[in-house]
Amino acid sequence: MGNLNVIAIVMVIGLTIFTVGLAIFVRRFTRTTADFYLAGRKVGTIANASAISGDYLSAASFLGVAAAVYASGLDGVWYAAGFAGGFIVVVLFIASALRRFGEYTVADFAYGRFGSDRIRLVTVVMVLLTSLFYMAPQMYGAGTTWTVLVGAGIFGLSPYNTGVVIVGLIIMFYVMVGGMKGTTLNQIVQFWWLWTAMFLVVVFAFTAGKFSYPATLAEVTAENHRDVKTHTVADLTADDGALLASVEGAMSPEAFEEVQAVVDAGDPAATVGVLVPAKNKLHTLRDMFFNEPGHRYNSFDQFSMVLALVLGTAGLPHILNRYYTNPSGAAARRSTFWVLIFIGTFYILAPIAGLAGRQIIDNAWRAGTAPANAAYVDGLLLKSDAIMPTIAQILGGEWLMGAVAAGAFAAMFSTTGGLLIASASAIGHDVYEKYINPGGSEARKVFVGKASVLFFAFVALGIGLGIPAVGLDKAYPALIAMMVTWAFAVGAGAFVPMLLTGIWWKQTTERGAIAGMIVGGGGSFFFIIMNILKQLGRLPDEGVLAFMGSLTFPTLFTFPAALLTIIIVSKLDGQLPKNVDEIWMRIHGTASERHERDMGTDKVGSMFSSGGK
Amino acid sequence: MASSAETTVRTASGIQMQHGDHIDTIESVDAVFRAQRKLSFAYGAVFFVVTLAIPAMSVWWESWYATPVWGGFTVNYLVVSLLYYLFLWGLSYTYIKKADKLDETLSHMADEIAAETAVAPVGGGENG
Repeated sequence: MGNLNVIAIVMVIGLTIFTVGLAIFVRRFTRTTADFYLAGRKVGTIANASAISGDYLSAASFLGVAAAVYASGLDGVWYAAGFAGGFIVVVLFIASALRRFGEYTVADFAYGRFGSDRIRLVTVVMVLLTSLFYMAPQMYGAGTTWTVLVGAGIFGLSPYNTGVVIVGLIIMFYVMVGGMKGTTLNQIVQFWWLWTAMFLVVVFAFTAGKFSYPATLAEVTAENHRDVKTHTVADLTADDGALLASVEGAMSPEAFEEVQAVVDAGDPAATVGVLVPAKNKLHTLRDMFFNEPGHRYNSFDQFSMVLALVLGTAGLPHILNRYYTNPSGAAARRSTFWVLIFIGTFYILAPIAGLAGRQIIDNAWRAGTAPANAAYVDGLLLKSDAIMPTIAQILGGEWLMGAVAAGAFAAMFSTTGGLLIASASAIGHDVYEKYINPGGSEARKVFVGKASVLFFAFVALGIGLGIPAVGLDKAYPALIAMMVTWAFAVGAGAFVPMLLTGIWWKQTTERGAIAGMIVGGGGSFFFIIMNILKQLGRLPDEGVLAFMGSLTFPTLFTFPAALLTIIIVSKLDGQLPKNVDEIWMRIHGTASERHERDMGTDKVGSMFSSGGK
Repeated sequence: MASSAETTVRTASGIQMQHGDHIDTIESVDAVFRAQRKLSFAYGAVFFVVTLAIPAMSVWWESWYATPVWGGFTVNYLVVSLLYYLFLWGLSYTYIKKADKLDETLSHMADEIAAETAVAPVGGGENG
């Protein structure tokens, strides 16, 4: 049984009850499918920007960015910069056109642009794939945060599994009762909670933690970077104890004594947490320091990660869905600008928390005051993804930890809620309403949407429970940020080339778009699975398979390959939709917006009026 | 679907769409498209050049990634953790201002082109 943080738990429960209550409150305004999926298309600029930010600031951002910086230094800081930079691609190339075209989902766009059922179904598959990749880190974050917060499980479940199950059930409930309108309001509230919680951690770090950005960075950089690993005694003693000697050089004498005691016990299968000197993967002849690139990524991955992050945002189905909620194309652009301000400030703060953790958690551990529910190796967290609740408890006690834990759960609720809606839209709207029961009643359509939410919530729950079961949590140093970037990579490969060419190149054909989605999305999925297998030690160390498994992020290959595929296949195919001019006019035509401006209907309406626009 | 009542009209020379008093013809839409493409891709080029220059310098320029300039900050760390956001905000702000201005210009241009190119329907209209 771990330490119960009662005040923090009460704060988490309080926020949970509030969000569920909010979902129930807006239930009476959810009457049509437009209400359920898109909040009736009446979300104002700042409100929509806050909601997009709430959708976007997932557990990956709230827990994962600080964790990635804590574990990997500068390579981790890139997650923050890349997550923010992605919205530039959205505002430059996608936002206005998507709003003008005016469909519910990305699959609707594909169908409307290219006019075939095939492409709608391919898009649905890619939406589901991307959403599942994105949901996995949220559920992993739920289990990790629960472990630090509560430190105990229920009904015989481990603390991690308990967190996954409870969060999964709550999300399921509130999305089903509130739909998108429910999550829009929740996302607004939750985003500002997240932002404030991150802000408070940084303020406390500067005041209570005596943190100084340049000085702490210099202090942390003064010695070589070290990695936290879990090894068996057999690993440590192999090759005449070469690894053990390396560990001894990287750890303090007192901490190494504990490792030595496990080794001396003689059980070769016993595992122990150790520190090892980090290798520089970018400049292989240099030592690895916190403030230099190369801890996680070689030269290929440096570029590929940046591309995955900045292109992937434009390929996230739950973010793209949000652009249909803007009242006009100009409002969509303005929303994106405010998103950049909101999340930009957040992403400046998150790496500060990660760096502060290197100093503050280490100090607390040496003083014997570090939270007991987290595991440490010589002053470093065994799982870096636990950094936010841990540092919050050290700096501000249970109150700050409660604010952070509630923020973490809020992040999981809002993002997973948006993803469940996107998945439900894919099945309920794109498949059921279009193919299975086109003439069904509104009530029936909403019912199918909710059933889809339930199904995908259970799938997400299963993935969350499966992550530690396959050892994925030990294979990557900052798993949450890594997993969410996989979703970005799949989205960047599957949707962004199709959207870019669909919007900006009239000669794009349906066959070209499908081929591009398969090459980009399927290729990304393949390389990611290969990388996972390699990290789990299931691939050989050399050869073609080893090379395929070495690409942490495949976007540098898959994005241009998908783009090129679309261009080549479209040129060879040449079969444009018969009504291509009409489609073009819907994407780029402005008569509708000019008319709406004349009528004053491009302005924002009330989210609480019950009728459709 | 389009957000206001739309009338699609097929004419001898092509298609046109009418919303209230405003008409889109393929000529007016193409003109709008080209102007928007020029603006978006110009800003896109700036964004990608700057964004990809950062990892490029991380790979090839030692002074960029290994020389502390302020406490533990290298230029690389300073740019990725702080200055890049100023670039993003500045770029998006100027783009949105230009895009709004362009919208204004294009709406007049579209009306003018449509007035010149719109023709009476030959086969009647259809409400979309």
